Amino acid sequence: MTLLLNAPLVAEPEAQLAPAKVMAARAVDAVKLHGDGDTSVTALDGVSVGFERGTFTAIMGPSGSGKSTLLHCLAGLDTPTSGRIFVGDVDLSALDDRRLTRLRRERVGFVFQAFNLLPTLTAEENILLPLSLAGRDPDPEWFDQVVDVVGLRDRLNHRPAELSGGQQQKVAAARSLVSRPEIIFADEPTGNLDSRAGRDLLAFLRLAVDEFNQTIVMVTHDPLAAAWADRIVFLADGRIVDEMLDPTIDGAVDHLKLIGG
Amino acid sequence: MQPAGHGPRFFHMALAVALAVGLVSGTFVLTDTIDAGFHGATTAARGSVDVVVRSTSAFSGDASALPERDPVAAEVLPAVLFVPGVQMAWGNVWGWAQVVDRDGKAVPPKGMPTVGAAWGADQRIVSGRAPQGPGEVALDASTAGAQGFGPGDRLKVMFGGGSEEFVISGLLKPGSMVASTMVSFDLPTAQRVLQRPGAFDAISVRADPGLTAEALRTRLRPVLSDGYEPVTAAQAANEAEASWSKALGFLTTALLVFAAIALLVGSLIIFNTFSIVVGQRTRELGLLRAVGASRGQVIWTVLKEALAVGVASSLGGIVLGFGVARGLLELMRALGYDYPTAGVVFLPRTAFVAVGAGVTVTLLAAILPARRATKVSPVDALAGTGQSAETRALKSIRGRLVGVAARVLALPLIRVFGRPAMLGRDNAVRNPRRTSATACALMIGIGLVGVVAIVAASMKASAERTVRDTLRADFVVSAKPGAPSGGGVPPAVADRLRRAPGVDAVSEIRTGEFGFEGKASSLVAVDPATVTTMHELDSTSKAAALQLDDSGVLVRDSFASARRWRAGDVVPMTFARTGEQQLRIAALYSTTTVRADFVISLGAFENNFAQQLDTEIDVGLAPGASIADGRAAVQQALADFPSLAIMDRNEVIAAQSAQVDKILVPVTALLALSLLIALLGIANTLALSIHERTRELGMLRAIGMARGQLRSMIRSEAMIIASLGAVLGVVAAVGLGSVPVASMRTVGVTELVFPVAQLIGLVVLATFAGLLAGVLPARRAARLPVLDAVGRD
Repeated sequence: MTLLLNAPLVAEPEAQLAPAKVMAARAVDAVKLHGDGDTSVTALDGVSVGFERGTFTAIMGPSGSGKSTLLHCLAGLDTPTSGRIFVGDVDLSALDDRRLTRLRRERVGFVFQAFNLLPTLTAEENILLPLSLAGRDPDPEWFDQVVDVVGLRDRLNHRPAELSGGQQQKVAAARSLVSRPEIIFADEPTGNLDSRAGRDLLAFLRLAVDEFNQTIVMVTHDPLAAAWADRIVFLADGRIVDEMLDPTIDGAVDHLKLIGG
Repeated sequence: MQPAGHGPRFFHMALAVALAVGLVSGTFVLTDTIDAGFHGATTAARGSVDVVVRSTSAFSGDASALPERDPVAAEVLPAVLFVPGVQMAWGNVWGWAQVVDRDGKAVPPKGMPTVGAAWGADQRIVSGRAPQGPGEVALDASTAGAQGFGPGDRLKVMFGGGSEEFVISGLLKPGSMVASTMVSFDLPTAQRVLQRPGAFDAISVRADPGLTAEALRTRLRPVLSDGYEPVTAAQAANEAEASWSKALGFLTTALLVFAAIALLVGSLIIFNTFSIVVGQRTRELGLLRAVGASRGQVIWTVLKEALAVGVASSLGGIVLGFGVARGLLELMRALGYDYPTAGVVFLPRTAFVAVGAGVTVTLLAAILPARRATKVSPVDALAGTGQSAETRALKSIRGRLVGVAARVLALPLIRVFGRPAMLGRDNAVRNPRRTSATACALMIGIGLVGVVAIVAASMKASAERTVRDTLRADFVVSAKPGAPSGGGVPPAVADRLRRAPGVDAVSEIRTGEFGFEGKASSLVAVDPATVTTMHELDSTSKAAALQLDDSGVLVRDSFASARRWRAGDVVPMTFARTGEQQLRIAALYSTTTVRADFVISLGAFENNFAQQLDTEIDVGLAPGASIADGRAAVQQALADFPSLAIMDRNEVIAAQSAQVDKILVPVTALLALSLLIALLGIANTLALSIHERTRELGMLRAIGMARGQLRSMIRSEAMIIASLGAVLGVVAAVGLGSVPVASMRTVGVTELVFPVAQLIGLVVLATFAGLLAGVLPARRAARLPVLDAVGRD
């Protein structure tokens, strides 16, 4: 493995137009400061990274490394202090709140660690929520396909309180898929699950990438989870410190030790 | 102890209680202020008078500036003047008089009827000089200032017998009598215009220096014949104040009832808030218990906060009370009750009662939630069982009911707002206890407003029906609405009407008070010969009216049967002027057209009452005469009496509706305070729910809910809660409205009417008010940064 300290991982924008490497999302020299003046903390210190369409990327790093901040900036939930963020070919810095909301609704999917579902809605209603907020009709075939792949057919009329944690996360994953987003962001999706439920969810995410050509970026601190990805990007102190392709569990653990995670 | 984001709930709660406490405190400030103003006025009016000689009165009715007493014969004055120790004595004459402004319109009296009086030693002139001779008048300086009159100007004044023009000789110092508007004449003129030929209403006596009023009173007694009494001026003033305080007492009670309603609604909000907060803090309180706090200590941590809310809101309420008192005074002024006031009066008692009420209500409302906090075992509390409690509540009966109701009420909102309204509806349903408690607060206020609306509509419909079915008179003449009750219609009017061309029949109706079983009761006096031609009565009542003579009385059948009276029995009735009289029951009547339980003849009225004023005069036109000609003739006959209203049947109906509205408006205004408090409750519940659902809202924003959609969702929830409360209130009003209406049967309310459009309007209005209540919480929620909600690193 090569240690690529802050080396640009993507080519210059012109070069990216090459069809072979279509980027679902990318950050260019993203800097994020929290707070003002002397008390400000650098969460992201000039991060440039791209996520190729149809790939599954894990972001790892110790607490405070900036991995969640990077995810939030990429997803349009937070804005970088400087630098640029693209989802597809859309520059997020040019968008106001209304357009960002629309972008999240139409081109981005989310799976959080917890508080993923509305307790008042059934599983099916939760899955269809982003579409109904957008006033769009679901594609029934695609919906059926997603539901069957995730194995929720017989749970569609249940409310979250009647589902196990693993089932709830699968509903969240199905919700993120159903609008066919450009990219799905998952923030510690297995953090609250037991190992079996976690494995099921990761298998499903893997499937979404392999079968449906979905792009997924997942923040995790668990090497077992990260090993399901095509690539691991390691962050420390707001910088990208390493990258690992086709990772293994042991390799991920070794790298984490190396960067002090 | 204060979780972040709970500032608004503290404020809402305190404001809710403060508004209710404000009404309590405002009630006392108002009545104390009026009381003091009245006391000041009577004290000033007493001036340098020590003893008053007047006719005895066997019965004193309610507050009236024109007491129901016989005049004092002029011959009494010399007898009084010869009593040793009398420095000065003079005859007083007073009576109803109405000042006319430059445009020929009656100057509206301020609270008390305008008083015309004879110039006396207790009056002071501030400019010009005292009135002398038949053509001069002195006008009180404040009315003169308001109307732009001064010495030398001509002034038209109306009296019972007609109107006259005078020259203003001077201006009277205000406050020298209880009435705020006053005109004064020299004695002979006053006796003429106020119709006291050769008599006084009372004699004012001043004692020699060194002689007490009481001693003078003792000396005066032997020289007075039967039927006269000397009383000290202080006692006379006390009597006036006592009857006044009684009237004020009614006002105080009525206002405190509204305050109690407001406190009840406020307490519901406190209860609801503490229930939610304790629920949210179950973990924290469980931790306290786990580290060894006793149940009492945990209850105290909750009650401490309630105590703080109670004290803060009570103090705020006291401040608001001044505004409330001011507002109520303005309201009364607008309705024609202007009382002499001299500065706002705040007694220590007001503070004690206000703080007591505020703190007690808050603590009582918080005690159940506080106890509930300790019922959860520490382990369960730490584990957190919120979700399962929510699911359980959904399956309760209340949960199902709220669910069904919300689903129906949300339908129009979903049409407008779409998906966000559905989410808002689901949020309203997910905690049925919270939603129903919040809606319940609104239900109480809306229910009462609804009952009032039903009663008012029933009263109007009954009045209209009575007029349409039974009134045969073509015109009814009465004092204009808003004219002082002491005014009435002078008897001269009826005589003029009888002489008017085209008028076929004139029937006078008078009303009066008398003592029965130790209490004041009211009666109606009619002319038995003509009353049945003006009012269509059922056959029994008609036969009864025809049997009435001057020694008899008609009694309502229901009133009589409760006392096992029959025709021929003798009823003891106490009249102010003539004492106890035995009247024989001539017959019983059942008609609800008459709004009193006793009816006597005009002859009996003349025998037993000092003031002879008609309440209404019914006028029938000759057959074939046109209404327009008849009106012209009546107007011509009454040209000298601009304060009289001439109404045909439709106008009578309109006037009675206006009369109902006059009560309806202040009652609704006072109930509106409870509605306001209930809306605060909605805002508060929403603020708490939003705080609770911060992360959920963040998730919604993250997956693509726009700010506008989020606001719509929360406003929808507010509107659903509000419309739920309003619908429940209207349903309750429809169910209960018949009770007060039924109890008003004997005063002529025979119809039960549900003002459907008004009741629906009430629900719509409440729903929009709910929208307003949801505006601020919705804005706060939309401003929540998404990241705070989904959690940072």
